[in-house]
Amino acid sequence: MRKPAIPAVAFCAAGVAFAVSTVFAQQPAPSAPVAPAAAPAAPLIPPSWAQGRKPEQEAANLAPHPPGLSALPLNEIPVDKIKVPPGFSVTVYASGMPNARSMTFGKTGNLYVGSRFPGNVYAVTPKGEVKIVARGLHRSNGVAYKNGTLYIAELSQISKIDDIDSKLDSPPAPTVIFDALPKDEAHGWKFMKLGPDGKLYFQIGSPGNIVMPPSTHAQIVRLDPEKKVLESVTIGVRNSVGMDFHPKTKQLWFTNNGRDWVGDDLPNDTLHHVTFKGQHNGFPYCHQGDLLDDEFGKGRSCDEFVKPDLKLGPHVAALGMRFYTGSQFPAEYRNNIFIAEHGSWNRTKKVGYNISRVVLDDKGKVAKFEPFATGWLQGETFWGRPADVQVAPDGALLVSDDVAGAIFRIAYKK
Amino acid sequence: MMSPARSSALLTRNSVAALAVALSFSFPAPAADAEAGKRKAELCAGCHGADGNSASAAFPSLAAQPPLYVYYQLLQFRNLQRKDPSMTAIASTLSDADMKDIAAYYETQVAKVPEKALEPAQIEAGNAIAARNHCGSCHMPAYTGQKHIARLAGQHYDYLVKELRGFKTGARPDIDGSMASAAQPLSDKDITDMAAYLAGLK
Repeated sequence: MRKPAIPAVAFCAAGVAFAVSTVFAQQPAPSAPVAPAAAPAAPLIPPSWAQGRKPEQEAANLAPHPPGLSALPLNEIPVDKIKVPPGFSVTVYASGMPNARSMTFGKTGNLYVGSRFPGNVYAVTPKGEVKIVARGLHRSNGVAYKNGTLYIAELSQISKIDDIDSKLDSPPAPTVIFDALPKDEAHGWKFMKLGPDGKLYFQIGSPGNIVMPPSTHAQIVRLDPEKKVLESVTIGVRNSVGMDFHPKTKQLWFTNNGRDWVGDDLPNDTLHHVTFKGQHNGFPYCHQGDLLDDEFGKGRSCDEFVKPDLKLGPHVAALGMRFYTGSQFPAEYRNNIFIAEHGSWNRTKKVGYNISRVVLDDKGKVAKFEPFATGWLQGETFWGRPADVQVAPDGALLVSDDVAGAIFRIAYKK
Repeated sequence: MMSPARSSALLTRNSVAALAVALSFSFPAPAADAEAGKRKAELCAGCHGADGNSASAAFPSLAAQPPLYVYYQLLQFRNLQRKDPSMTAIASTLSDADMKDIAAYYETQVAKVPEKALEPAQIEAGNAIAARNHCGSCHMPAYTGQKHIARLAGQHYDYLVKELRGFKTGARPDIDGSMASAAQPLSDKDITDMAAYLAGLK
């Protein structure tokens, strides 16, 4: 299927297109003459999502799915479409929150929810009231909570609101605690998780679909929120928008989104865990642990890198992931991983749009991988997109949906 | 490498995808009401024209815009993400349903054929710049827009220049950063050439 000649062909075709456009640009036009001695323009870098796209794929007039900017009214949320295993039930936990994404709980039971597009951070009280605790932020996707303080990860800065739980009705503007971060829009929004070491873990994604990332990018980092020291944790990560710590080993596990434009079935999104500092996971040289990149994989071997624990499926857009640490679900769910699959955007037949379940054995190896909650995708039509999962204090599993602008609660009863 | 058959599958899929997205946003909600939108759009007519073809180049034409584009712009004005005092004041009086109805009304309106014909050289220059920058991938080959992405064909030259310059400098925020990224490689001459080309398209 994949021949080494492809990148060369693609490069040549791009060169031809460039030459043709240069000729056009240099043709003297009566209305707007161009200086004949003008040097040719520098070759253009395509927008980040189009990098690595092959000429024949450009024929498809394709745009990303509309970002969720609004919320479905409660009576229009088709919660009955979500299918879960016997014994489980699904209800709407909160609604009316445009683009609700990453979630974290405070100590008094308030749920804090980040959003990527509207710039809001929401709070859902234990009574189910929704309040906006910060607005006008830039890609305020990541949230974490430590000792009464809410931390917010924006595109290029981390900020905080102290004593948040008592300030829901009149929150002060967030205070920036760290802003020495890249400002790229592509994969710049952040997932953030408080580590067992008290540090804030988040990703700095690849600045394009498939590029040689600067040493500042394509990794997971951690920030000491008091000392303001930023460290690399693991590198060679294209973009991770979900991470959690194993309840027993305390090792960092994370999801990673694979590159686009190789094909419908390659490469897979992946699940990884970190066993040593500075671990390299392969990007941009090797994808999914066994697929050398056509361009960046030349002269490299996938054996140079730590392989993923699991292939999650191509283009499923695996985002939020959490270990199930509650006790409401049956015992076999204890310490399972739940993953929110946001769903594909440029695959011929859509995949993802569900919550999947990963069971690990006693040695931490993947023993089972299966869908857990499905139904956001009906045929080729989606009505919502899961973005994150979170275990509630009562052991229910919450699912945020950034298109429906809602949070679902999956509960179990014998 | 993809076979030709696969490429055509992609093309077919694309029209399906456009339909799917349209459905996904109307399902299971009732469809937006263009008739109600016509009444609600009366306060817009002074600047944008009764039929969505504005008389002044300071105001964009809205006729035949994809409805999700108009809805999303109104949401951004209300959220204070797109900054314009007049538009924010108007948008803050509108409910989500009002915005969807207004957007549905403008979708039914016909974009006026531009009066000024394009020079062949202008077509070639604008076309080449747009092709090099993959504009048609999202805005469609005839620049009629799709989903939440604007129709550009026949839009006012002054407005296109202003907004493209704004995307490049950040003065005009966009939803997901795609246009900020797409505008970076454009020289000012690229912007004016392309705007002249797009403004002249039917």
